Amino acid sequence: MTAAPEASTVKRALSAHAAIGLLASALLYLVCLTGMVAVFHSELQRLEQRNAPEMTAIAPEAVQRGVAAVLATEAGEPATTHLYVHLPTSDVPRATVTTDTQALHLDANGAIAWPEEVAWTDFLVELHYMLNLPALVGLTIVGALGVMLLALALTGVIAHPRIFRDAFRLRARDSGGTALADWHNRLSVWTLPFSVTIALTGAVIGMASLTAYGLASASYGGDVEAVYAPIFGGEDAPDATPAPLPDIAGALRHMARDYPDVTLTYVILHDPGTAGQHVQIVGTHDRRLIFGEYYHFDAAGRFEGTAGLADGALGQQAAASNYSLHFGDYGGLPVKIAYAVLGLALTAICATGTYIWLGKRRRRGLVEPRLRAAWDGVVWGVPLALAATLLARLALGNDAPFAAIFWLLAALVPLAAIARAPRYRPAPPEHA
Amino acid sequence: MLRIAWGRARRSVPHNLAGWGLLAAAAGFGWAAGGAWGVAVAALFAMGLALALLALAAWRSPPGRRVASNRRAGMLPDSGRPLGLWRRIATFLLGVLGAFAGAVALAVTLQLAARAAGAAEADANALALFAQPLIWALLAYGVLMARSRARQVALLAASGIPLLPLLLLGGAR
Repeated sequence: MTAAPEASTVKRALSAHAAIGLLASALLYLVCLTGMVAVFHSELQRLEQRNAPEMTAIAPEAVQRGVAAVLATEAGEPATTHLYVHLPTSDVPRATVTTDTQALHLDANGAIAWPEEVAWTDFLVELHYMLNLPALVGLTIVGALGVMLLALALTGVIAHPRIFRDAFRLRARDSGGTALADWHNRLSVWTLPFSVTIALTGAVIGMASLTAYGLASASYGGDVEAVYAPIFGGEDAPDATPAPLPDIAGALRHMARDYPDVTLTYVILHDPGTAGQHVQIVGTHDRRLIFGEYYHFDAAGRFEGTAGLADGALGQQAAASNYSLHFGDYGGLPVKIAYAVLGLALTAICATGTYIWLGKRRRRGLVEPRLRAAWDGVVWGVPLALAATLLARLALGNDAPFAAIFWLLAALVPLAAIARAPRYRPAPPEHA
Repeated sequence: MLRIAWGRARRSVPHNLAGWGLLAAAAGFGWAAGGAWGVAVAALFAMGLALALLALAAWRSPPGRRVASNRRAGMLPDSGRPLGLWRRIATFLLGVLGAFAGAVALAVTLQLAARAAGAAEADANALALFAQPLIWALLAYGVLMARSRARQVALLAASGIPLLPLLLLGGAR
């Protein structure tokens, strides 16, 4: 008796693997490559704007002054609905206030230093997250790519009955397509836990909007926010009556006194300067996968409770852990480096998969130089286009049209490769 | 241990069990040391070690002229054969859009069933959010593995059936 699948199952799984792989290959390759780089987005944004004020901590009163100063610059304009203060952390030791319309760095005293200028890092993250498309469309497509990656992992394992038994066998110097196939299969099997984790967590992030829409239609009368409220907490009803700014300093002092082991990362003001305002402080917990816990305060700086992401329902903890598991920011630089290495392997798996398929066709006598050139163009064009955007950042500054440069080059390189390639020509099969 | 087990000429159940057991034990130690965080870090160590062993295998690999498998994937026809474009488009629509719709329907069903069984609202909603992509992948797999178009359609239709009585009963609220 054997657990090996039947030959016909293996054959269909291989067809399914090839179908999904070829359908998603170019975008999957792009998302894996950009994800590998985006693991270091904190470090990249520090490099991108090296002259921003840095500090190990900022006093509560300085944060209060900083928020007041930033909101004062927006007097007479439509009021911001949300205001975020990024607090100095070991990853990004900077204090930055972000409103609906601008982002400004603070110095250690809470005075406005200068605008945040990390447009390239933002572009990179948006490219990975949503392919620079409108949020819902882009997130959904990238989420669907995560689903495709899950299906590829499943079909790949079933299509290769010896994939585990051969897991340490790497004929790296063989010709005739063996080395390429071995690299693809060995990297796939050993990065399988990582690939499945990244695919599932990414797919959950990407598909959440549409799934939530389905849940809202079935159970919440179409109110999508009500789907998330039991998990992450809801928002109070707005009251636009003008009011003094909330006591942020008091809330931060409360956190320092009552939660000294929690690392504070953000202060979030909802509807600041109105009677409906409230304060959330986000704090990370050591040796946890959750992105943090929300600590709620009223406008007077009185503690009201937590959302329960750290110690609430299992669903809350799981949902809050999804993000760090995907981004690899739960263990400092060593975990980020591990994610980058595994991400590189995943990118190589995406690239080699199509080459394996093309190689099989070539060995059967189907020589398709244009198809091969097109894939060469994708494999080399995407990193080239990304590098070009980085050069544009250095040459043109923060306002360079990164998305336009990237997509233009990412399309032109394969097209140029196709144009230069000879047309289809049949050739005698290499092997019967 | 897994390397030893898989390097043997014949399948060895004790060696395989020992290898997988050690992996499970590492995950257990990770959980004991740091919960889910510990398991995640232990998994990264295990994958890193495996990649290092793989790099060693690549380094020691002698040059060879073995020919790779030529198994047909059937994605494109060989020259002279019909492309079957409409058939391929229909498979795409069933495997992507049909499976997506089925996955949403089953995820909603799971949420409603979990709520009806007394699960907390946060647990039921998170369950649905996590389940949808997994179910979509499984349904897409099922569609592509089905032996006939009728089976593909039947699979997708079946994924929507459990939702109907729950919706008729009025949902979770």
